[in-house]
Amino acid sequence: MKATLRFARTTEMTLLVIGVVFFVFLVIASHGDLLEANSLRVLLQFLAVPVLIGLAQMVVLAVGQLNLAVGAVGGFAACAMGVLMADHGVPVPLALLIGFLLASVAGLLNGLLVVLTRINGFIVTLATMTVLLGVQYRLVGTRTVDAYPQGLKSFGSYAVFGVLPLIFLVALVVAGLLAVMLRRTVPGRQLLASGGNPIAARLSGISNDRSVIIAHTLSGAILGVAAILTVASSPGVNKSIGGDWLLPSFAAPIIGGALLTGGSAVVLGTVLAAFIVRFVDTARAEFSLEPSWVNFVVGTVVLGSVVLGQVRTRRQERRTVVKAPDAAVAGGVS
Amino acid sequence: MTLFEAFEVDKLFPGVRALDGVTLKLEAGSVHALLGENGAGKSTLIKVITGLYKPDGGRLLLDGQEVHFGSPHESASAGIGVVHQERNLIPGFTVGENILLQKLPTSRGLVDRGRVRSEAARWLAELDLDIDPDLPVTELSVAQAQLVEIAKALSVESRVLLLDEPTASITPNEAERLFRVVEKLKNDGRSVLFVSHKLEEVFQICDTVTVLRDGSSVLESGALADLTRDQVVDLMVGRVHEALTLPPRTVGDAAPLLELSGVGTASGHAEVDLTVRPGEIVGLYGLVGAGRSELAKALLGLDRITAGEVRVRGQAVRIRNVRDALKNHKIGYVTENRKEEGVFLEQSVARNIAVTVWDRLLKRLGRIPGLSYVPKKTESELVAGYVEQLGIRIASPEQLAGTLSGGNQQKVSLAKWLAAKTEILIIDEPTVGIDVRTKDAFHTLIWDLAANGLAILLITSDLPEMITLADRVVVMRDHRVRGEVTNTHDYDTMSQQVIRLIHAGTTAAA
Amino acid sequence: MSAPVSETATAALHEPDAPVEQPRGGRTPWWANQRIGLLILVVALGALFGILRPAFFNQQLVVFPLLRDIAMFTVVGLAQMCVLSIGHMNLAVGRMAAFSMMITGISYDLWHFSLYAGLLVGLIAGTAIGALAGWVIARTGVNSFVVTLALDFLLLGLIPLVYTGLTDNAAFVTKPEGMREMRNYSLADICIGNVCGSPAVPQLALFAVIAMVVVGWIYSRTKLGRELLMTGTSVKAAELSGIPTARRVITAHAMSGCLAALAGFMLAVSTGSIKATIGEEFMLPSFLGPILGGTLLAGGFISVWGTMLGTALTSVIRKGLDLLGVGLESLNIYLGLILLVALSTDRVRTVLSDRQGVRER
Repeated sequence: MKATLRFARTTEMTLLVIGVVFFVFLVIASHGDLLEANSLRVLLQFLAVPVLIGLAQMVVLAVGQLNLAVGAVGGFAACAMGVLMADHGVPVPLALLIGFLLASVAGLLNGLLVVLTRINGFIVTLATMTVLLGVQYRLVGTRTVDAYPQGLKSFGSYAVFGVLPLIFLVALVVAGLLAVMLRRTVPGRQLLASGGNPIAARLSGISNDRSVIIAHTLSGAILGVAAILTVASSPGVNKSIGGDWLLPSFAAPIIGGALLTGGSAVVLGTVLAAFIVRFVDTARAEFSLEPSWVNFVVGTVVLGSVVLGQVRTRRQERRTVVKAPDAAVAGGVS
Repeated sequence: MTLFEAFEVDKLFPGVRALDGVTLKLEAGSVHALLGENGAGKSTLIKVITGLYKPDGGRLLLDGQEVHFGSPHESASAGIGVVHQERNLIPGFTVGENILLQKLPTSRGLVDRGRVRSEAARWLAELDLDIDPDLPVTELSVAQAQLVEIAKALSVESRVLLLDEPTASITPNEAERLFRVVEKLKNDGRSVLFVSHKLEEVFQICDTVTVLRDGSSVLESGALADLTRDQVVDLMVGRVHEALTLPPRTVGDAAPLLELSGVGTASGHAEVDLTVRPGEIVGLYGLVGAGRSELAKALLGLDRITAGEVRVRGQAVRIRNVRDALKNHKIGYVTENRKEEGVFLEQSVARNIAVTVWDRLLKRLGRIPGLSYVPKKTESELVAGYVEQLGIRIASPEQLAGTLSGGNQQKVSLAKWLAAKTEILIIDEPTVGIDVRTKDAFHTLIWDLAANGLAILLITSDLPEMITLADRVVVMRDHRVRGEVTNTHDYDTMSQQVIRLIHAGTTAAA
Repeated sequence: MSAPVSETATAALHEPDAPVEQPRGGRTPWWANQRIGLLILVVALGALFGILRPAFFNQQLVVFPLLRDIAMFTVVGLAQMCVLSIGHMNLAVGRMAAFSMMITGISYDLWHFSLYAGLLVGLIAGTAIGALAGWVIARTGVNSFVVTLALDFLLLGLIPLVYTGLTDNAAFVTKPEGMREMRNYSLADICIGNVCGSPAVPQLALFAVIAMVVVGWIYSRTKLGRELLMTGTSVKAAELSGIPTARRVITAHAMSGCLAALAGFMLAVSTGSIKATIGEEFMLPSFLGPILGGTLLAGGFISVWGTMLGTALTSVIRKGLDLLGVGLESLNIYLGLILLVALSTDRVRTVLSDRQGVRER
């Protein structure tokens, strides 16, 4: 009962309500067209990658870091896979595995650089982003690589019952695994402890450095999956893959309630926020507006949600600050 | 049986001997008090015991065996639990997870929530606490959070428990509950080190006491039963080491520069009355947490004044911020937190001193309005003047303030307010962590500033300092003024009067 | 000098036998000075590229555009440097340039402003959008990273909407008189008597010189600049020393916006078109210049010369590698690596000052 009440007041609940209302609105606006199998499939198909890149950012935010290289890691891994399959005839599973590992190693490298050099994570990932963008361009140049096996492409477009795209299910599975990892495993808990209160974590014998490295590696691994889904679901890979990932990667966790100072695991919030951003895009298409509206709306929402969040925490802080001295006064009287 | 012993521990910091041959013995089944004024070395000692600092001399013995702690985790594993002043809980976690954070129970790779609940419940029960292990810690009160931290410290099977000012931010009723827990720990054969500024609590629950002053143990493990409160206070504050001869100074009966009547603040002050005349040093005395610095900050507009009136030069004023205080009312504030609030460690000494006077130095550039600059020559002359007058020992005014010793940093922190030609100066704990000789020099300086007509409000926890300098001593407790004593500069009678005022009310109520 | 300290107190405060506190490590020798190191590196690399490819010294085809790039990116770097001085970041630096140029474009297109009137309008627009970012940060206390990121997002959406609304080809076509000429004018076109400037130095570079002089003067000589640096060093201490820190946060961001607008104008002039994509490539160079030049990320220390030299270094490397046949896009790899190396030096400096007990983070 208490737990239910607690959930009712969370960001997730708010997002869920907004999402449902938004969806109903879209259904009405489209005169029910959106409920058709095909429309639903398209809606979900383009949700898989945004969910994953949001989670890739969320997991580093959880430890109080950030990752500017999300797009570069994903784009680089996607191009590497494409080139391996198309130009070098590497079998699909092996190519995907290599791509996934490359992305994970890139994440690991970010983590190691942050920990070893103690340079601000912002700058480290800005630098690795730039390097990887260069590498991505080296790999594909100005071509679009699309000569990879048809099997992979049909995996990318397959939908269970014609409604649930396989790649969307993969994204949900990753989200589920990440949630379990962060909530129920010792490394996951330690990661969040490091993000929530690094001093307390250190006093409890937790290595904050290890948490940072794990978070960055996980981020890379999730981006590896995102890259696989991108290769599978798009007609081909080129130098622009990943170019527009950065802003949505921050938008989903921030709208989802993640704290930039670390310590919050908002898997569900991130997924729901990705849904809402997708709905904005769907609405935009429904009313045939400029694509730019999406960025404008999402930017406003992000700004609004951080400002509101800040106001809320401030008010809470004020309440607690007032509480302690009151108690002291009471103590003096007694 | 002695569980833990710190034997002749030394700790050196650049320019300061923070601990000088301190010895402390903790017996099983007893509660030991660690007392001392701010800067006496209590927190340094705790940091040495918990492995945050490496001692420069002496030994730590656990069960008679010498131990070396490289990190707080090592000392915790050896059985020394600590509850720090800062809250050390992970915000998003439950009570149970926080208690067992050091070794979360798992089954098949996942955290076993059932066992987290039951094991945490066991520790909570051990302390007779009725707290749900599944509650997020963000929903706990300050006092509950503290008790949870004790449970957390116990969960690593610790036999020695360090409580660092556990009652600083909780109510007397909550404190009583905490004391019952401490009593229970003691009866279970554990050893508790209790650090507090509140003497009545110490006499209520402790068996033995160690008193630190200026980094040395002036009383090592004395039985509290053999001591009176006054004796303990004498040990804590120390006799005036030698009479500092200050020239006579008389306070005229000029109209007060600063007057507070019935002031209440958002941080809990009520009915505060205070006056400071030009040429007068008014001491604001009280234990840590009495609300003295908070009052100073409210005066500067950093906290809301909710009741009463503040008058500067007879005019009722509402000060918005430090800038307003400085520019419109000529009030300066020398903060107690020198390193974070007093000096800009990574800026030059020159800029640190001139920061308050750039307005005054500005020179117009050409005839264009609003276009002005700080002339370097005037600035460096001004800085050089204060460097010379205050005897700030530096190689060049361009040297970074962070490279200076505490005493010199404090001079820099004061110099900017002298440069600003303030007429009302609030000085908060001016000599914490400063060696005795520089301390005397500061006392002469403050005395001298008053002689030159400044109105000074001196906040200090150092009773000898207070008695040396103040013309009147105003005693605060629990955010209220408890009384006022005109200083006779006679240490014995003054300290008795002041301490009586501090305790007035509590003994009657208890 | 009439400080209220009498001779008795002064005498007491003087400790005749106390040693003068020397900054540990002593003075930095000239060869360890980062800016001189950069200068030598820039010159050496320039010479090296010149030897490998004599075309590197071609005034018209290489030096002229190179200097134009250096000038523009220096202004971009200064825009970032202004917020770094208070320990903040401006991720929207490029988009602020685009926004200002959009306003400038409107002023040319719809209101038929002259070249410099349009520039002025753009600078005002940049200052305003920067001040807005600063105001949100100061009022809410939200991290500058998030605020400028969200603003970037917002402008990324807004700008194309305006362009599609007002133009046919997503670019303002009206060019005021003098814009085309300014693109190619060099100092050779400015003569005093018979003495003319070098044809290798573009006139556009004068904007950067003016920006450097003004910004350098603000930080070294004015109260405003000093207060910005003090705020960057410690907000708490600044507030308690009577510095209006909230206003300084707004000022720093406004300065950043104004400089971003200037950089946007320089880019518009040198590419000859005012379009929505202006400033897209500004983010990385905006950090590269100041940080290579010694500006601290944590705030409190800046270097105008360093920003220029840092920018020059990256531009020379870019141009040189380009002439050596390294693909323009793969240059990113080297730029990223340079940034990492540069930051390791920043880190080394921090470690050194840590050792001196100067910095406490």
